[in-house]
Amino acid sequence: MRTIAKLFSRSPFVPLAAHLDRVADCVAKVPQVFEALARGDQEAVEDTARQISKLEHHADQVKDDIRNNLPRGLFLPVARGNLLEILAIQDSLADAAEDIAILLTFKPLRMPEAIGDEFGMFLARNLEAFEAVVHVMKQLDELLESGFGGHEAETVKQLVREVAVKEHEVDLIQRRILKALFAHEQKMSPGEILLWMKIIPQVADLSNLSENLANRVRMTLEVK
Amino acid sequence: MTPVEWTLLILTLVFGFYMAWNIGANDVANAMGTSVGSGALTLKRAVILAAVLEFAGAFLVGQHVSDTVRKGIINPEVFADEPMVLAYGMIASLLAAGIWLQIASYFGWPVSTTHSIVGAIVGFAAVFGGVTNVDWSAVGTIVASWVISPAISGFLAFIFFRIVLHTILFKPDPTSAAKKATPVWVFLVLTVLSLVLMIKGMKHYFKAAEIDLPLGTKIAISLLVGLVAAGVGAILVWRMKIKSNPMPETYDLYVARSLEKVQKQLRRIRNATTEDTREVAQRMLDDSRSLYETVKQRVELQPRESQFREVERIFVYLQILSACFVAFAHGSNDVANAIGPLSAAVDIIRSGTVAASTTVPTWALALGGVGIVIGLATWGWRVIETVGRRITELTPTRGFCAEFAAATTIVVASVCGLPISTTHTLVGAVLGVGLARGIAALNLNVVRDVVVSWIVTIPAGAGMSIVFFLVLRAVFG
Repeated sequence: MRTIAKLFSRSPFVPLAAHLDRVADCVAKVPQVFEALARGDQEAVEDTARQISKLEHHADQVKDDIRNNLPRGLFLPVARGNLLEILAIQDSLADAAEDIAILLTFKPLRMPEAIGDEFGMFLARNLEAFEAVVHVMKQLDELLESGFGGHEAETVKQLVREVAVKEHEVDLIQRRILKALFAHEQKMSPGEILLWMKIIPQVADLSNLSENLANRVRMTLEVK
Repeated sequence: MTPVEWTLLILTLVFGFYMAWNIGANDVANAMGTSVGSGALTLKRAVILAAVLEFAGAFLVGQHVSDTVRKGIINPEVFADEPMVLAYGMIASLLAAGIWLQIASYFGWPVSTTHSIVGAIVGFAAVFGGVTNVDWSAVGTIVASWVISPAISGFLAFIFFRIVLHTILFKPDPTSAAKKATPVWVFLVLTVLSLVLMIKGMKHYFKAAEIDLPLGTKIAISLLVGLVAAGVGAILVWRMKIKSNPMPETYDLYVARSLEKVQKQLRRIRNATTEDTREVAQRMLDDSRSLYETVKQRVELQPRESQFREVERIFVYLQILSACFVAFAHGSNDVANAIGPLSAAVDIIRSGTVAASTTVPTWALALGGVGIVIGLATWGWRVIETVGRRITELTPTRGFCAEFAAATTIVVASVCGLPISTTHTLVGAVLGVGLARGIAALNLNVVRDVVVSWIVTIPAGAGMSIVFFLVLRAVFG
């Protein structure tokens, strides 16, 4: 007799937002690693990296919980595959944050003077891209309420464009930084060069993944 | 009447009343649960409203389906030689349906009262009246209506919700759009309701009172009722204290960004030039800066609160209306499950013949209505509370569309004399809203359960009614 009550399942969008909160915890630690690096405090770098790993593990748990509670018989207002992709990209963001921190623990590094100034801006732009996509994801509740269309969808479309703009800015800065790095390659050991060549794209991944995530949300919208 | 007949009469009334009680106890929650869950109605008010409307539905429109259940499935004339066989059969059917419902609700199966009673009647009639004497085309129509009614109500709910999306939720200022749309919806609900009442529902009462209105007048009266209600609705909505909460213009974000760039370039110009040019650049920079501040303030003023909360607040009232409509529709259709067999059996016991009154007597409809209300008052309110607590996902906009669609479908089935399942019709409506991307997560396993219940209930009801029939005939025959 409670058929109608049984018809409604737990919304996966609530834990999805919780997952993003955990991911944001990971990403928020990234600037702290670079601050520790700037101070030359290798202990603090390693400590922060450990913290990020722990947070990333928390995020993983939420992710598994969502995946395990998404039975086939569930009917959602967005394609199931789309939801799972959104979840996967959110998770990659946490992974990216963790990888950045881990790369900095392999050997005590120093911020190369040649890129020092621009790297600050580079990191900031990446974090802005992430913030922008968090803003997009925060609109999901409103989208659910408004059936993924109309004015609200237009707003989200603009926000998605913002993320893309940030990502493009990051690309431009990344090119300049890499050029500057190689212009001063004599001053660095091959190991240092190798590590920075891994760290910089890894940081840029924050904005790349943010853009992917924003585009996934864009795909759920009912606008041309 | 002999003592045996008295015993049978009392048994009939008890079982019939038990069925009505069951309907009131379990199914009214479908109508009122959401309004209680959303806090639109207190439990007490919901129970009172539901009681009034269930009774009105049963009493005013309950006739058509009751007639179908009573004499549409089997021709009573078949039992003209031994009328008591039909009486035993109807009593057995009531008992079978009642017990089957008890079992089903114990296991939580989505079984419908309607299906049980139809299955029970078909079962005993086929075995004891002869397979050929069941009106199979009528049974076919009824069974088809069980599949078609959820589909139609789902389709209607889909359309209704798409309309709500396009006219309200897609708008830059959904609150004032909702205010404008409310009277239209009120008009629609009330017009449908009064059309049903005027054209088909109160036909027998009009005849009894010797009122004969032409069709045009009936339609005109219905439209008038709708218009008056819409007027009242419009006044109430405009008097509601709602702050209109337009969404920020999307270009603000872009404008803010562009102004940032303008300032950056202007600063470059200012720093690279001297004297006049520098002064002009400085002035333009100041201007753009103050413009930037204004725009930025507007961007930051973006309400973090949902703009749709006010829309939902307005729809709370529409949802109360649609919930009442569901209660009315439910009464008009489901009362037949108790009253159809009851009145058939009572007629035979009292008169000793099958060809008694041509229509269901009003006292029987009233009895059914009272039974439903008592079921609601003694047990149903608990179910309303439980269901309400669990379906908060059905927000007023969604709830209104689903309920209006379901109620319309049910009420049309009622005037056509088709006994359908209100629960399944509502399930169809909720799925319709879901298909229109209105609900976060729906459990489609329920649909599978509903289909299984279609297949299982008929044989189960039939088997049980045959067993009870044999017992009754052995005891009284």
